Amino acid sequence: MRRSPLPVFLLAASALLMASCRGVDYDIAEVASPDYTGLEDDHDDGHGDQDHDVLEGPGSEEEAAGDLHLHETGVRNHGTVWFFNQPWAASFIWVKIVRDSVVLLALACVVQVVSRPRRLRRHDP
Amino acid sequence: MRTTLAFAGMTLRSLLRRRTIYGILIVILLALSGIGQVPSFGVEGESTFIVDFGLFGLEIGAMLLAIGLASNIYPRDREQRTAMPLLAVPLSRGQYLGGRFLGAALVQAAALLLSVLGLMAILAIHGYAVPGDLVPAAFLLVVEGWFLLAVVFFFSFWTSPPLNAPLTLLLFIVSQMSVLQFVSLVPTAPGLMRTLRLILPHMDVFRIKDPIAHDFAVPDVYFLLAAFYGLAYTAFMLSVALAVFRTRDLK
Repeated sequence: MRRSPLPVFLLAASALLMASCRGVDYDIAEVASPDYTGLEDDHDDGHGDQDHDVLEGPGSEEEAAGDLHLHETGVRNHGTVWFFNQPWAASFIWVKIVRDSVVLLALACVVQVVSRPRRLRRHDP
Repeated sequence: MRTTLAFAGMTLRSLLRRRTIYGILIVILLALSGIGQVPSFGVEGESTFIVDFGLFGLEIGAMLLAIGLASNIYPRDREQRTAMPLLAVPLSRGQYLGGRFLGAALVQAAALLLSVLGLMAILAIHGYAVPGDLVPAAFLLVVEGWFLLAVVFFFSFWTSPPLNAPLTLLLFIVSQMSVLQFVSLVPTAPGLMRTLRLILPHMDVFRIKDPIAHDFAVPDVYFLLAAFYGLAYTAFMLSVALAVFRTRDLK
């Protein structure tokens, strides 16, 4: 009985991926440039009086330290990272989405070719 | 192709005769109407809440529909011995899978579009504006549903129906994780975890409920990109499912 080469193919593909994996995948928090995140100096300069409306007043320690503040609506900041670290907002990973799609289509074709049953040849007596 | 379409029509009729689809659809619509009944207590932005939870509910509904529609098709065909005569003469295994998938995909698309219309109706009844991006979001939701359907078909060829649902749910949850979150599950083997994450689907590509709920404009081209990704992954999953199906002995 002929053994399917599919497991061997998948194993080889996994090994190849393993070798070249780092940096290939896209985690927006991991691959985003400082220009995109704009957070490299957020806590140094971004919380100054010029950029924020600081809610100062007597009360909690946060207020005393000036940590409680308001940002402009719809702007990326340390509080809205979760919102903007999504694929729809990070246009620099869209190329990778297209790349993955093309690779998946190619893999689908390869799997079909590899797993296609071979026709038995008729042996003439 | 004509054979596949004829078989898809047969699948469509058989699925519409089953009560599963109607049960899931009623649950989705009841959940949506429940979300619409939550009082706002005068707080502004109730429509944000309705759209956010509504789209999240529809995403879960797409997964339930995929499991309810497809997890039992092949096991039932095999148990009732209808698969053997079908595959003996009129259909190839590829046509069988194509027809079954196409029929289930049509039912799922209709159910999801109906659910999105329900969400729009709830917004309109409460006097809120319907976000313009809800229409392309509905089609992206359908593509996501087709992808989940392909995953369920893939699992159905080598697991039992009771195991199919938790495996699909596990994949659904894991595929929502970012690379860093996934690696943190087993931090001692980052290379292996990164490889696994690379192979697993990026279902965060379909996550557009947040910008729609908060009235952010999503670029039109992104909907096309995400749909292309979803369709490509669907084709890959169906291809692997067919490869597994070809190795199955139906006796």
